[in-house]
Amino acid sequence: MATVKLTNVKKVYDKHVVAVQDFNLEIADKEFVVFVGPSGCGKSTTLRMIAGLEDISEGTVEIDGTVVNDLEPRDRDIAMVFQNYALYPHLTVFENMAFALRLKKMPNDVVYQKVTEAAEILGITQYLTRKPRALSGGQRQRVAIGRAMVRDAKVFLMDEPLSNLDAKLRNQMRAEIILLRQKINSTFIYVTHDQTEAMTLGDRIVIMKDGFIQQVGTPTEVFDTPLNLFVAEFIGAPKMNILKTKLTKEGGKYYVNPFGVKIPVDGEKGELLAQKNCGEREVTLGVRPEHIVLAKDGTGIPCTLEVNEMMGSELHLHVYTEDGTRIIVRVPTLDLTHEERAALVAGAKVNITFEGKVMHFFDPETEKNLLY
Amino acid sequence: MSKKPSSLRRNRIAANTAVYVLLTVMSIVWLVPFFCILMQSFRCESTWMVGYILPQKWGLDNYIYLFTHKVSENNALPDFVQWYLNTLIVALANAVCQTIMVTLMSYGLSRLRFKGRKLLMNAMLVLGMFPGFLSMIILYYILKSLGLTQSGAVPGLILVYAASSGMGYYVFKGFLDTIPKSLDEAARCDGATRFQVLYKVILPLSKPIVIYTVLTAFMAPWADYIFASYIAFGTSSGYNVAVGLYSWLTKDMINNNFTAFCAGGVCIAVPITILFMCLQKYYVEGVTGGAVKG
Repeated sequence: MATVKLTNVKKVYDKHVVAVQDFNLEIADKEFVVFVGPSGCGKSTTLRMIAGLEDISEGTVEIDGTVVNDLEPRDRDIAMVFQNYALYPHLTVFENMAFALRLKKMPNDVVYQKVTEAAEILGITQYLTRKPRALSGGQRQRVAIGRAMVRDAKVFLMDEPLSNLDAKLRNQMRAEIILLRQKINSTFIYVTHDQTEAMTLGDRIVIMKDGFIQQVGTPTEVFDTPLNLFVAEFIGAPKMNILKTKLTKEGGKYYVNPFGVKIPVDGEKGELLAQKNCGEREVTLGVRPEHIVLAKDGTGIPCTLEVNEMMGSELHLHVYTEDGTRIIVRVPTLDLTHEERAALVAGAKVNITFEGKVMHFFDPETEKNLLY
Repeated sequence: MSKKPSSLRRNRIAANTAVYVLLTVMSIVWLVPFFCILMQSFRCESTWMVGYILPQKWGLDNYIYLFTHKVSENNALPDFVQWYLNTLIVALANAVCQTIMVTLMSYGLSRLRFKGRKLLMNAMLVLGMFPGFLSMIILYYILKSLGLTQSGAVPGLILVYAASSGMGYYVFKGFLDTIPKSLDEAARCDGATRFQVLYKVILPLSKPIVIYTVLTAFMAPWADYIFASYIAFGTSSGYNVAVGLYSWLTKDMINNNFTAFCAGGVCIAVPITILFMCLQKYYVEGVTGGAVKG
C-alpha cells in the first residue's frame, strides 16, 4: 500500500532518442491508474522505470516517499505482470507463484497458504501441479497475476496484461481484474493501448503521446472534457468526428456552419463560449459518433451512406458529405423502425445533425480545447 | 487411378533402399578402423603390426600390460595409468573451469549492456581467428618460467585451456539470446539478484547447452596432442594419454607396444562413449515451451 510520485521524469535512449519527458504524476495510495496511448508513446517505458527495469535519465521516482531511482527492482517492493506472462517454464504453477516467497526464505507453510489462497481467488487451484506449457493463454495470465498477488507488494504494475488474449477472454479477464482489485486493494499502475480497458479499469487515466502526458483525469473527465484533439480522438470508439468549420455569432448566440448548414451552439457549451469571450473564428469541431442523430425531417447535413456496420445493439453508419468528408454515426438499433433499417444500404441518402451541448471546440492550430 | 499410388510407393521404396545401401557402405568404411583397433587390442600372439584383423589368440594381455607396465621401477604408477590420470585431471578441471567461465561470459554478454561490449565481442572474434598454435611457443616460454612445463605440465595445461575458454561463448550466448528477457525481468521484480536469475531461472532452462559445453570442454584436452606434447616435452610423468601412447609408436618401441597402443585407444574411447550416450537426450530436449506466449 503506497503512493508513487514521478517528478520531471525523462528517458533518453542512445543519447538522442527521447522516449518520455516532463512526466509529472502523483499516484495516491490504493489508486488504480492507467497509462494509455498509441504504440511508442512511452507508457511502457514509464512503467518499466517505476519497476526499475529501465534507468531513469532525469527526474525522480518515489515510492512511499523514498526516491528509488538507484534501487534494483528487488529493493523496490513492486510486483509486475508482463504482457507475455513471463512464467518460469521449468517450474510448476505452484513454484512459479511461490518463486518470490522462496527467495524471501519464507517458511513452507506460509508459502503454501499464500499460494493456495491466491490460486483459489483466481480459480487455478486444479492447475497448481502443472507446468506453464500445459496451460491455455488465459490460465497462464492468471498464474502471472497470481505470482504478483502473493507478493503483497506496495505497488502492482501491469504491462498490457490482456493484449495477448482473444477478445472474449479479454473482456472476462478485465472484469476479473476489477474484482481482483477490490480484493487486493493495493496501488495499481496499468499500461494498455486499449482505451476501453483504460476507461473501465482506471480511477484515473493518463493519456500519453510521443513521450508527453496529454491529459490526466478520471474516465468521465477525459471523455467529456478532452484537453486537446488527440485525447478527444483517442478516447471513445469509434473515434470522434472532426469537422473544419467556422464559429459565427449572431445576436449574442453562437452558431457553427458545417457544410453550409447552420447549427446553433446552445446550452452549456454556448454559455462557456460566451464566458471565454470567443469571437468569430475558424474552429475544429469535434462530435462523437453517438451524439450525431439522423434528421428524419430532411434538415441537417445531407450525406451519402457508404458502409453500414451492424453491431447488434447499434449501427455504425459510415457516411460522407458532399465534399467527401467522412463521418461516423452510431445509431441505436431500437431507434429505427424495421423499414428505416432496411433502407440504410450503401448509397442511401441520409441527413445528420447534432446538438450544441455535444460539440467540442478545438483551435485548428494548437489543437487545444477552446473551452477547458 | 489405382496404379498411381503403388508406383509412388515403389519409387519411395527404391529411393529408401538406395539411401540405406549408401549409408551402410559409408558406416562400414567409417567403422572398420575402430573395429581393427578393438580386435588388435585383444591379440595375444604377438605385439607388433600384422597383416590380418582377427586375432589368432585372444586375451587381455595388452590391457594387463597397460595397467602394470612401468618403464622405470621408480615410477609411482604404471606409465599408462599416470598418463590416463593426467588426462582425466586436466579434462575434468577444464570441464569445470570452462563451463563456469563460458556460462558467466555468455550471460554477461547476452543480458548486460555495458560500455565496450561490442568492442569486446569483436576483439574476441578477431583473436579467435588466429590459430591457437601461433601462441604455442610463447606460451611454452611463459609456462616454463613459471615452472609449469615437463613435470608441471598438468597444472600448466589446465591454466592454458581455462584461460582462453571464455572466448568460446558464441554458441552459449546464442542459446541464451533465445530465452526471453522478460523472464529475467520477472525474476528481478520477484526479488532475485542477477546471480539468482542466472542460477534459478536461466541455468535450469539452459540444460542442453550447459551439457554441450561440459562435453566439449571435457573433450578438447582429452583428445589434445600437439599442445600437450610441447608442454610435457620429454618428461613421461607429464604426458597425457595421446602423447604417451604416441611415444610407443616410435621406431624402436612400436614392435613391443603396438597392440598395447590399440588397447590404450580403446580405454580412451570408452568413457567418452558412455558419457555421450548418457547425455545425448539433453541435446534434443526443448525446455522453453510455455514460457511466454508462443
